[in-house]
Amino acid sequence: MNKYIVKLRYYPGDPLEDIREKDLKGFESEYGVNISYEKIENRVMKDGLLMERTLDKHIEDVSQEVITLSSGKEDSFSGCIVALYKKYRCPRTPYSLMGSNEAGQKIAKKLMEMHGGW
Amino acid sequence: MKILALNGSFRKNGNTEILLKQALMGAESEGAEVEILRLTDYKIEPCRGCGLCLFRENVCQVQGDDVSFIFSKVDGCEGVILGAPCYFLELTAVVKQLIDRCWILGHKIGKIKKPAAVIIPYATRGWTPYVSVQSNLLLTLMGLMKINEITVCTQGISEVVLDQEAMDLAFSLGKEIAVAIKKKDFTYKGEAGLCPSCHDWLVRILKDQETVECPTCGVRGKLIFVDGKISMKFEEKAWADARFRPDVQYNHFTYHIAPSKDYFLRTKEERKTLTQKYREYLRKEGE
Repeated sequence: MNKYIVKLRYYPGDPLEDIREKDLKGFESEYGVNISYEKIENRVMKDGLLMERTLDKHIEDVSQEVITLSSGKEDSFSGCIVALYKKYRCPRTPYSLMGSNEAGQKIAKKLMEMHGGW
Repeated sequence: MKILALNGSFRKNGNTEILLKQALMGAESEGAEVEILRLTDYKIEPCRGCGLCLFRENVCQVQGDDVSFIFSKVDGCEGVILGAPCYFLELTAVVKQLIDRCWILGHKIGKIKKPAAVIIPYATRGWTPYVSVQSNLLLTLMGLMKINEITVCTQGISEVVLDQEAMDLAFSLGKEIAVAIKKKDFTYKGEAGLCPSCHDWLVRILKDQETVECPTCGVRGKLIFVDGKISMKFEEKAWADARFRPDVQYNHFTYHIAPSKDYFLRTKEERKTLTQKYREYLRKEGE
């Protein structure tokens, strides 16, 4: 059973490097956790910038990359979160963990304080 | 060619004002038309943090103060010289007050580019660690590019006139701004600093104790030693993340700020319940 579930929402410009499914698979096997990945892309090129109107949209609908991580073991879960934070940095907004369960969110937030999300 | 000096000192004919006027004389010698505003002569209300300006362009809840006038003056010139004294490690409060009001300019960050210079008189050496952060921030938020900065060690009112070297530096700075406008060359001409973008010497050590960051630009790198000297090494790709790049600013507004409206609305009822006890606690009469 997955006691810990977290959704890490990275918005355009947030990850320090491209999020690649191949790398996520590597983390999945290294830490023995479950990882799924979803990319939502609604930006259009305008005046040389990729643009999108986000003001009246639901948070889940704006362009973003969502890494969903789940595990029944706290140490594997935490270890993988730290690895993700080191690679991509921490998600950056107060709502970037929306959709996580309480146990998962608590760990993810605590690790943010320790690994660069302040 | 119009050059505007913004004076962040309350003192009339104090060191900041004298240095600014000296710089304007330098600019005039290059043919500039000049003007000076003492910021403390104007009403600059604190930002109320209401967020209106973030969600609706050019709308501010604060009415009847002079911030729009000051910003219109900046809009109407071709170069700016910002002067402010350092009393306690950073610039004066009026500068910060103006920085906070720059939210309303958020919609045009990165769109205007004009040169600017900075003059900072201070009294005690070593008491100026944060001055460049503030001046860089204010200039950047107003769409200006710093081309040089001088800090001048001086203390009592008007004593700076005794320091001919400082007066000459200020005069040259004014000339430099005018020449930059004429040549359309806004490259940085001052001391290099640790950060190649904002040229500050400040560095923030992250909690991993491996990574360092320019606190103003938000660009991360490594601290290195070259011939025994401390330096910061940035990967080329790190610059894609510099805080005040137009695309980074756009993403910040579009993805960190604008969607917060949805979060704010969907948590309305929960917040209403949870904040009730704080509305009642230590409530003042008439509130």
